[in-house]
Amino acid sequence: MNSVSLGGSTTKRRSRRGGMSRNAGSDVKAAYLFIAPAVIGFLVFVGYPLIRSFYLALTKYNGLTDPVFVGLGNFRRLFTTDPAFWPALRATGYLVLLYVPLSLILGLALAMFCNQRFAGVRIVRTLAYLPVVLPAVATITLWKFMLDPQVGLLNTILDRLGLPTSLWLQGPSTAMPSVVLVMLWGVGGTMIIFLAALQSVPTELYEAARVDGAGPWSVFFRITLPMISPIVLLQVILQTTAALQTFNQPKILTGGGPGFSTNVLMLSIYNNGFPTLGRIPQLGYASAQVWVLFIIIIAVIALTAKFSSLWTYSDSTSD
Amino acid sequence: MTALACAGLLTATACSGGGSDSGGSSGGPVTVTVMTWESAETNAAIKKALADFKDDNITVQLLDTPAGNFGDKLASLTQAKKLPDLFWCGNDTEQQYTSQGLLVDWADKIKNADGDFTADKFVPSAMENWKTADGQMGGLPSLMNTYGVWYNADAFTAAGLPLPKAGWTWDEMYADAAKLAGKNGAKYGLVADQLTSADGPFTMSMYSVSAGGAPFTDNVNHPTKAEADEKYTEGVEKLVAAIKNGSVAPPGYDAANVQSLFSAGKVPMTFGGQWLAAGFQTDKPKIKYGFAPFPQVQTPTTIADSVGICTPQYTKDQDATFKVLEYINTKVWDAVLPASPVAPPAYTPAQTSYFDALTKAQQTTVVDTVKADLAAEKTVGNRFTTQWAQQVGDLTTANYQPILSGKKPISDLPAYIDKINGLIKQGG
Repeated sequence: MNSVSLGGSTTKRRSRRGGMSRNAGSDVKAAYLFIAPAVIGFLVFVGYPLIRSFYLALTKYNGLTDPVFVGLGNFRRLFTTDPAFWPALRATGYLVLLYVPLSLILGLALAMFCNQRFAGVRIVRTLAYLPVVLPAVATITLWKFMLDPQVGLLNTILDRLGLPTSLWLQGPSTAMPSVVLVMLWGVGGTMIIFLAALQSVPTELYEAARVDGAGPWSVFFRITLPMISPIVLLQVILQTTAALQTFNQPKILTGGGPGFSTNVLMLSIYNNGFPTLGRIPQLGYASAQVWVLFIIIIAVIALTAKFSSLWTYSDSTSD
Repeated sequence: MTALACAGLLTATACSGGGSDSGGSSGGPVTVTVMTWESAETNAAIKKALADFKDDNITVQLLDTPAGNFGDKLASLTQAKKLPDLFWCGNDTEQQYTSQGLLVDWADKIKNADGDFTADKFVPSAMENWKTADGQMGGLPSLMNTYGVWYNADAFTAAGLPLPKAGWTWDEMYADAAKLAGKNGAKYGLVADQLTSADGPFTMSMYSVSAGGAPFTDNVNHPTKAEADEKYTEGVEKLVAAIKNGSVAPPGYDAANVQSLFSAGKVPMTFGGQWLAAGFQTDKPKIKYGFAPFPQVQTPTTIADSVGICTPQYTKDQDATFKVLEYINTKVWDAVLPASPVAPPAYTPAQTSYFDALTKAQQTTVVDTVKADLAAEKTVGNRFTTQWAQQVGDLTTANYQPILSGKKPISDLPAYIDKINGLIKQGG
């Protein structure tokens, strides 16, 4: 068996070598040329910064004078004396736990609604996706005005209806949920991917379920969800990664406050690297924080992927 | 990955070398570049005034930069070693950059200057604050920042309260705030971001110093200690009580819109700088308003602060740059401030145009308060200018602000002070 197999493979190898002999050189060159922009781009914009930031994480560097090597000093300060680091981790974790499930549930619900056949469905889809294409800074700023506890639209409406108002972004306990509320405004992006997944589920499965007398919940949990579970996994990874790197919303809406309640890691990194006018940048320290965030992201993705087989459906016959 | 790439890219700029864009060399034609943080309108006025600068060998170029995010621009230009010859800078930037050897030391130049442009013509406290521990001056103060309490005169009259004026007390201020809170759409009686933000512990020094106690720190530029004595603690207790009863906005209150809320009559009192007067001239508030000095316990005490103009070490021609610096301080403000009376110049002969403009605009309370502030015997600094100031901000958010919010007891104040002293010891 082995010899046949080996012999066969040798024959194939020979024939391939023979076939490639005329064009092999130019094909390889062309291949390298095609991948060169991506490789150069990766090396310049990812590879070098990656190495550089790791080096800077081991230095005291303010951007004004040469870096001074401090070993693991930045990490030691991060984990032992920095009063902002653990609250930043907590705020980031809270945001992920709040945002990821809500964005998935809301995105999927919207997608299922938009997957129905009714008059004006295209308009509904467009409206649901519209916030994604609007300039983020403009919409976030608008939300900030709407959430103002004193003159904001939301409290004005609540007040007119005789309902209790909220401090929204200015309350230590309501600030993060308010930030997540604004983030969910862009859930149309999640919806559109779910919509594509829903439309790829074979209709025969639904027809068969209907014939068997399955109800809507049964259809959802036994057909829809398993069939789109690989996309759900993709969304979990994408949304978690994005949530861990949230910056725009807390930066514009709260500046990280009140206290440290919305001071997520990315904002903390930015504030240390690019502090307000008059403060000296701590680029080495910020780089150390970046590496902590990087490791957290890798760990979360690895864990999600590891346990994904428990809940994602894969068609073993598809190979 | 994005996070890593961003941070790496941002820091990668540090590798680039280079120097000033100024052309020419010592003795020959030279271009002196200037960068401000002013609005487009003010920059246009500055540009017009700079056009009248006459020197055959010197061309002045005002760099067109949007007003926002000046700190980020400065950081990037510093890392790229491309700072303009003259750039607007705060006292803290000047102190930090000078200690890193990044700025030209003008101390001897201004001390030995001829004519009218001499050190004694500047506001003394500003000149003192711009000196480093070893007597260097990495820039010259240009405009003074004075602070006080902006009040809605209509709200005070409606509530039957006397208008705030020089000599009013902290107790009176808190009592007024309590009476004004919750009326006519105003949630709080007083918004005092300077008392509740990361700079709050420094602002509280006004209370303790006015009461005969010690300030939060002995020196913001080169501190040896921080302390919260009996008088200071008393001031904190009063603020905590005022926050608790809802008359003063708590830490976390977003003061970004306070100017427009004040103009709309929804904030009866707010701590703020004199520069709001310039904005009120163009966007007139719906209310009658005034500007009073900070309250006192016994002695008038205020916050000392000034901004200035700095020059990088690598400026091509120091003499040419100094000539332009002198021109800005002695001539440009006279042309700019009448249209936009934003701040009194630190160079005292140039203050006339500022006060004249305010008087013409009938902003008499602003004139009185700014003059009182500039003449104040006791002043306190508004934040550390040291390299580790950022860490103090984090400690304040973690320890001081929860005390003000009532989440931590006032008895935690000494622990907070100990942590600041730890930083001072480490930093020193």
